[in-house]
Amino acid sequence: MAPDVFDRETMLDLSVNVIPLFIILFFIVLFAAVAPFGYSLVDTTIQMALLVIPFIGLAILTYFSGKAIAEAEAKMEERGDLAHAENDTPGAHAGESTPDAPDAPDATEGDAESAVETRSTSDQD
Amino acid sequence: MDLSGQLALTVLMGVFLVGVAVLLTRVEDWRSYTPLASGGVYGDETGHAVQHKPSGITRWLTTVDHKDIGMLYGAYAIIAFVWGGLAVLIMRTELADPAATLIEAGFYNGLLTSHGITMLFLFGTPIIAAFSNYFVPLLIGADDMAFPRINAIAFWLLPPGALLIWAGFLIPGMAPSQTSWTMYTPLSIEQTHAATDLMLLGLHLTGVSATMGAINFIATIFTERGDDVNWANLDIFSWTILTQSGLILFAFPLLGSALIMLLLDRNFGTTFFTVDGGSPILWQHLFWFFGHPEVYILVLPPMGIVSYVLPKFSGRKLFGFKFVVYSTLAIGVLSFGVWAHHMFSTGIDPRVRASFMAVSMAIAIPSAVKTFNWITTMWNGKIRLTTPMLFCIGFVSNFIIGGVTGVFLAAIPIDLVLHDTYYVVGHFHYIVMGAIAFAGFAGLYYWYPIFTGKMYQRTLAKAHFWLWMVGTNLTFLAMLLLGYEGMPRRYATYTFDAGIVNLDVITALHQVATLGAFLIAFGTIVWVFNFVQSWYEGPDVGEDPWGLEDSTLYGREFEWHRNRLRTAVADGGEEDVVTDGGNEE
Ligand code: HEM
Ligand SMILES: [Cu+2]
Repeated sequence: MAPDVFDRETMLDLSVNVIPLFIILFFIVLFAAVAPFGYSLVDTTIQMALLVIPFIGLAILTYFSGKAIAEAEAKMEERGDLAHAENDTPGAHAGESTPDAPDAPDATEGDAESAVETRSTSDQD
Repeated sequence: MDLSGQLALTVLMGVFLVGVAVLLTRVEDWRSYTPLASGGVYGDETGHAVQHKPSGITRWLTTVDHKDIGMLYGAYAIIAFVWGGLAVLIMRTELADPAATLIEAGFYNGLLTSHGITMLFLFGTPIIAAFSNYFVPLLIGADDMAFPRINAIAFWLLPPGALLIWAGFLIPGMAPSQTSWTMYTPLSIEQTHAATDLMLLGLHLTGVSATMGAINFIATIFTERGDDVNWANLDIFSWTILTQSGLILFAFPLLGSALIMLLLDRNFGTTFFTVDGGSPILWQHLFWFFGHPEVYILVLPPMGIVSYVLPKFSGRKLFGFKFVVYSTLAIGVLSFGVWAHHMFSTGIDPRVRASFMAVSMAIAIPSAVKTFNWITTMWNGKIRLTTPMLFCIGFVSNFIIGGVTGVFLAAIPIDLVLHDTYYVVGHFHYIVMGAIAFAGFAGLYYWYPIFTGKMYQRTLAKAHFWLWMVGTNLTFLAMLLLGYEGMPRRYATYTFDAGIVNLDVITALHQVATLGAFLIAFGTIVWVFNFVQSWYEGPDVGEDPWGLEDSTLYGREFEWHRNRLRTAVADGGEEDVVTDGGNEE
């Protein structure tokens, strides 16, 4: 893992997938320790494989997607337009990069009010 | 009638159909669709330097333009939706009382099979393809799909597929298939209906179509992105389409193989899925290894639509954009590890069963994360209750009920009680109808101005929403309760031991469900009327129908819309039609 790609912020983003990984891990440990139906070579192997395979699959996909996204972001940062990251409308100009800040809602609100008026006169029903 | 008479009739019919086709190609200027939002009409061959698309029906038969193909998918899906809806209305009417008063059980089973298969394969998958074909190239700045001709071929496999699937109803004297959408063996092998073979072939065609489309989307999103679109700012809808395409690539070929084995079992006596051969359980494994990813194939893109549209009317960007992306990918992987939660009651090894339960619990997390992101996006936002927004909110609320009931079912002890009751029907309809269809309508209303250059009628749109919201919850809540009462699914008639359940309660709940279904049907009529009438007579929209231009939420597809309007022939300044408002609720 290149530490510069997986910085703190990326790790935080990836944490959303760490939770299901953790749940699966929990059950792997649980089923290894407690086996009310006993152990049998074939069935227990299948049982574990059913948990381990999705675990590995999810870990791999999370790693590569996280890497691809973080690298793309780093490139944008070099070009000096990180503002575009986290924005779901790539073409539009983004105000800031914090995802949870309301973006100038007032500008749209005025429009909406007037829109209601124009619409009610031009309504056809 | 003797054979030569029939032959003559067939030839005559063929000549007649060719005649109709020729006639249609000569109809110019189809009013229903002008790609230039105002002014221009395609097909006027007046010697422009630009090469025009052919006019009339020929255009639609030969088009390889992703927007046209998107429209074709949409029209196709809506026809299928009406077919599947009519089938279920007959069924619900039949269930309004315990006895078989309206139709007999065999016909009920045929309708049930047709309804399920139609809604999932002929409506669900294609309506998503309608949006993705139209918008993914626009959103990622591509000129078209990577393989435009394959895109067209993929669509044109669908109509013959639908005809085959519906053959049992369309060909006189042929009884419709009665296998239910899961086609469980050994029933599906033993049933001799020829319609079942045709249905399996039709399903196979639609699977080939979906796979071709998926490969095309993967190639398009990987290779055709514009210079300024990368993995970090790819829009959320394209992300979900990419994941969905990956799922299709792994799931549908497996269904295709299983279908072929089933056809061989039916026609050539192979024993893949028979008790004395392979095993009926084998069919269930193969089917659900496809079938569970299929439900996520159906739900991920609608989640993408909601993640895309909901922020527009909350006045802020999607909260935790990357959470939503990563959780989409997580669902993509994990959905392949939970198939046997549909088979808890088949007697598979309890240790194996427990693993499927564990992964089913894990997969609920990414779905829940998305739900919290949508709610947080709305929290303290400047919410405008436009029709697309109403459908988004309806999506979130129905999805919560559908998801929570799913987690209950994923717990083995609960599932053993509720399996194959109406509870399961209620669970998945909260999701397929309450969520997936709602998101589809959020998208249809949001992008209606782009499709048509017109604005729909606001009041009718809201009537549609409320009819659907009330109807959906009446119908499917009643089903959840029916499940608790022990009403089994897939029956045309019902009767109960009075010592266990009061039949009147069951009947009343069925009647509530039927009432809800008719509210939904009525809402659908309102919607079709609104869309068709507004297409002809609605006011032209301006460049910014949703009043988003001054915010950061103006999407790339609306920039494209604006360019299209600006380059269109000037038409003397129509009044602007802005959003359908909503603050007045
Ligand atoms: C997200 C979208 C979902 C969709 C579209 C969906 C759809 C469906 C469908 C169509 C069925 C019925 C299959 C049949 O015909 O027998 C079903 C059953 C089931 N679903 Fe879901 N579901 C979703 C989410 C979930 C979740 C999140 C869980 C649990 C974590 C879940 C657990 C189950 C279980 C256990 C059954 C089997 C019930 C039974 O037959 O006893 N589902 N679902
Ligand atoms: Cu499932």
